[in-house]
Amino acid sequence: MRRDYHDILWGGFLSLLGLAVAVYSFMHYDIGNLRRMGPGFFPVSLGAVLAVLGLIIAIPAIWRAGETRSFAGRELLGIIVALLLFALLMNRAGIVITAAVAAFVASVVAPRPGILWRLVLAAIIAGLTWAIFIQALEMAIPVWPWSR
Amino acid sequence: MTTLEGLAHGFTVALQPEVLIYSLFGALLGTFVGVLPGIGAMAAITLLLPLTYYISSEAALVMLAGVYYGAQYGGAVASILLRLPGTPQSVVTALDGYPMAQQGRGGVALFTAMISSFAGSMLGIVVLVVLAGWLSRVATEFGAADYAAMMIMGLVAASTIGSKHPAKSFAMVVLGLILGCVGTDVNSGAQRLTFGRTELIDGINLVALAMGLFGVAEVISNIRRADRHGPPDRVTLRQLIPTRQDLRRMVAPVLRGTGLGSMLGALPGTGSTISSFLSYAMEQRVARQPERFGKGAIEGVAGPEAANNSAAITAFVPTLTLGIPGDPIMALMLGALIIHGIQPGPLMLEARPDMFWGLVVSFGIGNLFLLILNLPLIGIWVSMLRIPFRWLYPAIIVFICLGVYSVRGSVFDIAMVAGIGAVGYALSLAAFSPALLLLGFVLGPLIETNLRRAMLISRGDPMIFLERPIACGFIMAAVALIVFPVVKSVFRGRRTGALPPDPQGIWTKKKGRR
Repeated sequence: MRRDYHDILWGGFLSLLGLAVAVYSFMHYDIGNLRRMGPGFFPVSLGAVLAVLGLIIAIPAIWRAGETRSFAGRELLGIIVALLLFALLMNRAGIVITAAVAAFVASVVAPRPGILWRLVLAAIIAGLTWAIFIQALEMAIPVWPWSR
Repeated sequence: MTTLEGLAHGFTVALQPEVLIYSLFGALLGTFVGVLPGIGAMAAITLLLPLTYYISSEAALVMLAGVYYGAQYGGAVASILLRLPGTPQSVVTALDGYPMAQQGRGGVALFTAMISSFAGSMLGIVVLVVLAGWLSRVATEFGAADYAAMMIMGLVAASTIGSKHPAKSFAMVVLGLILGCVGTDVNSGAQRLTFGRTELIDGINLVALAMGLFGVAEVISNIRRADRHGPPDRVTLRQLIPTRQDLRRMVAPVLRGTGLGSMLGALPGTGSTISSFLSYAMEQRVARQPERFGKGAIEGVAGPEAANNSAAITAFVPTLTLGIPGDPIMALMLGALIIHGIQPGPLMLEARPDMFWGLVVSFGIGNLFLLILNLPLIGIWVSMLRIPFRWLYPAIIVFICLGVYSVRGSVFDIAMVAGIGAVGYALSLAAFSPALLLLGFVLGPLIETNLRRAMLISRGDPMIFLERPIACGFIMAAVALIVFPVVKSVFRGRRTGALPPDPQGIWTKKKGRR
């Protein structure tokens, strides 16, 4: 039998996360009392509730069959790298180059071979970004590497 | 201000050229993103949020609202023709709309969806005006305990009604509430869960969270999936014309759907998605031949479409009169209003009648515009479905980055979107609802403030929640929502019946639980 690993893992993780939030908040923030709740009251109680909910999700899932769902690992990686590149380049290279690079990297994981359409798409997106956000909306952000 | 004066005032606001243009732009853009599977109203509104810095507050609100109801119209197109719901609200529309399209009655299904949406919206506007007027008078009586109880009831309703796995829904709400705690505590000024990062002092950025959970996560899961369908059939104007029998069958479902939708839309927590599911279930229950459902019953298109559109309109009731957003999209609207220095609440109808009545009138104009324009334009919308997703999503990614960056020029927020997007994708893979997380995130600080205030007023006595009639009512409703399904499942042997049967496996494609 293939177990319902999605629920087991997420339930377990949420439970641990809740516990961590509750313990961390309990140690660092003032709980106060019912009349004057301190900053720690809400996070500690929420953390405890999440820890219990996590168990409610995970434990029944151990005896239950689950399906494997196809995990789009390549797509996930491509998009996350594109986003991080954007964050890394934005303040250094300006919007035009950054937009082109991010669009190109994002398009790499598309299910269609060929490099030409990707380059053209990246150029079009960079041009559109420039036209809409810099020319039309006059956003005050760096445009080129030298325009800072 | 009487209703008539209000409407007259609303027309002067909504017919200003700037407001009118942005309203129509929003409605068209909404239809566009609604048609395209893979991007929803949520992502579109988040992307437009930074743009609202540059226009007047009336135009901004009216434009974002246009995207919201426009997407409801557009969502039906891909749902009916390709069985690919463009928005979560239109999932149910595919159940009977797609079989109709297979029988060569796709045009009639589209017409039904459009005209039901229009009727639902128009009746929803009436309910909005009546309810908002009434509620803003009543709401001046609301105390902190009542607000807290109402929001808690809203969150409970959102995670139990129509949910297959309430524990997972609750977990998302609670996770959202915890994320809402991050940042400076309003009462004590303490820095909570920031781990020393100065970027987190103001809390997690709402735009970054919404973009990560909806934009990025949706793009990732759609890259492989979206282009798998063949091109849709062409739809001509002539095919849109329904028979007399079709029209007769539509009327009652539209009215029932509107009634259900406008009530559920006005409650915080239950929104247009849930109302369309419940409307479908109701139509099936009252039908003389329930076996026709799932095989192209026109009632299964008319009811849910009317329900989700009227709910989209009345969702503005709690947002504008109480300052409590009922769903994540309303949370973004509230965010947009606050950006413009407008704090919605019981006094808003008196203090800013131009906003409220302008919005009401723009709903009418926008919906009429969509109806008149969409019927002839249906061919264009259908051909939009031919644009491959691989050309669109890299642009969406770039616009997401720019949208987040433009809020406060922070690259930290973009990195945050990447992290949230990855987590959001993993959550959606395990069938957790990101919408509930966002709802908890937005309502969290409001609940905490009101809860702490209520406890201060009652000197630490939790009985305040049972002594005040309004709060007591909400708490009772919340308890009933939790207890009722448990009792029912014990008696019926673990069979939860909130969702209608699912002949085509559209929303139960995961989980082999039952």
